[in-house]
Amino acid sequence: MVEMPPSAPALLSLLQLASPALPIGAYSYSEGIESLIHQGQITNANALAHWLTGELARGTIRLEAAVMMRAFRAWQQQDGATLDMWNDWLSAVRDGEELRNQSWQMGRSLLRLVGDLDPAGLAALPDTLRSERCNFAIAFGITAALWQLPQSETILVFLQSWTANLISAGVRLVPLGQTEGQRLLRQLADPLQQASQQIQGLSDDQLFACSWGLSLASMNHETQYSRLFRS
Amino acid sequence: MTAVQPSAILPQAQSWHGQAHLTYQRQGAKTIPLVETQAPLKVQQPFYPEGSQACHTVLLHTAGGMVGNDLLSINISLEADAEALITTAAAAKIYSDHPQQLPAKILGHAQVGPGACLEWFPQETIVFEGAHYHPQWRIDLAPGATWVGWDILRLGRTARGERFVRGEVRSHLGVFQNQQPLWIDPQQILGSEALWSSPQALDECPVLATLAWLGRQPEVAWVNEARACGTDLIQRGTWGVTRLQQGLLCRYRGHSTTEARRWLEAVWHQIRPHYLGRSAVSPRVWQR
Repeated sequence: MVEMPPSAPALLSLLQLASPALPIGAYSYSEGIESLIHQGQITNANALAHWLTGELARGTIRLEAAVMMRAFRAWQQQDGATLDMWNDWLSAVRDGEELRNQSWQMGRSLLRLVGDLDPAGLAALPDTLRSERCNFAIAFGITAALWQLPQSETILVFLQSWTANLISAGVRLVPLGQTEGQRLLRQLADPLQQASQQIQGLSDDQLFACSWGLSLASMNHETQYSRLFRS
Repeated sequence: MTAVQPSAILPQAQSWHGQAHLTYQRQGAKTIPLVETQAPLKVQQPFYPEGSQACHTVLLHTAGGMVGNDLLSINISLEADAEALITTAAAAKIYSDHPQQLPAKILGHAQVGPGACLEWFPQETIVFEGAHYHPQWRIDLAPGATWVGWDILRLGRTARGERFVRGEVRSHLGVFQNQQPLWIDPQQILGSEALWSSPQALDECPVLATLAWLGRQPEVAWVNEARACGTDLIQRGTWGVTRLQQGLLCRYRGHSTTEARRWLEAVWHQIRPHYLGRSAVSPRVWQR
């Protein structure tokens, strides 16, 4: 099958969804990066690249992205029960309180925004997801399906915006120069593409991860004395 | 009949399917166990070191360890208001099955009835370098039920210089209440140099330990008690405490099963009054 490039409207929507200007509060979360920098585990751009590469290769971000695609397809099929099931699954898999709250806050903000932009669009949303507990990956998948975005680009954009956000946290915290941050993002192009392809091939019984470093960093962030970020 | 290739029949011929079905009933003030086992799993006589309401059970693996293609099925059922503490007699060993790489599997299911409490505290599991180990557990909690469990893993025989750069631990634990997942922990440790050395994964630490308590939302003060135990008892390892949905989670990544165990036992002693209203009494088999 020849892959067609996304249409101009789809490309514009992808860029909008991936934009750091999307008002969902992503900039206030570091997903453990602040704690790792505080502990001296991440001290430079290389260490940050190594961390992000590890997460993309085996971390829980893969589970988030895999479930995002499942939410995308469930929305296309108007399958509210499946949306609920994957939302509950993600809430149960997030093993740090801050990470769980982050996902719920960003999910809630994204759904509210999308509902404001297109009030009729979310009419089919299950009531359970209208309440406080919609995970970000679920909201992202729903939005991408609603905006009729192409699946494989959506997954790449999901991973890229996650990566860019954590690099931005690193730029502020390590600190790194702006150019160094941009160099890092380009350096991660291969791990991003690999992760995107692998995640698209994961079946439900292959949803495993190893994120011990993230779990511990997130738990330690809860007790960090001085914090700029909420995770 | 033509001879079958030895390599084709070997795993089948050597593999064990051990089983344990443990049912606990509350009769008056006493919890009574009903036990059915199949070798190599056995259960020792029940102990009641803290009075009749809590039954302490020691599971025994008589074959001394698991190899590829071995399976243990463990089914635990606690009827309403029963209280059981289950531990194992010794560390579990998972041997390498090179070159077949078949996994040793555990299939576990626990149902905890209304007001019942199951404590699952097996001794540590030593996964030899190159071994494949796939434990899978599902816990179903009735309303008002409690499950507290820990898992202490040593990856590779460190004393022999093993590093877990080959082999795989793929473990899946799901805790549900009313068919809703409270906590799902799908862990895959696929041995490689990158995974072994990365701070994102093992950070060159051979010991991973987890304690979880599910069944109610812990107060912040209780989380802080568990943290205070960690500050007191852990010198080298990295550790953390957080809240789950209706639960508490402690994780340790370090170099010493003794250090991990000492912390998790201390946390257990701290939290037990919060879910059972009485102090913890360590099983006799731990007193070495």
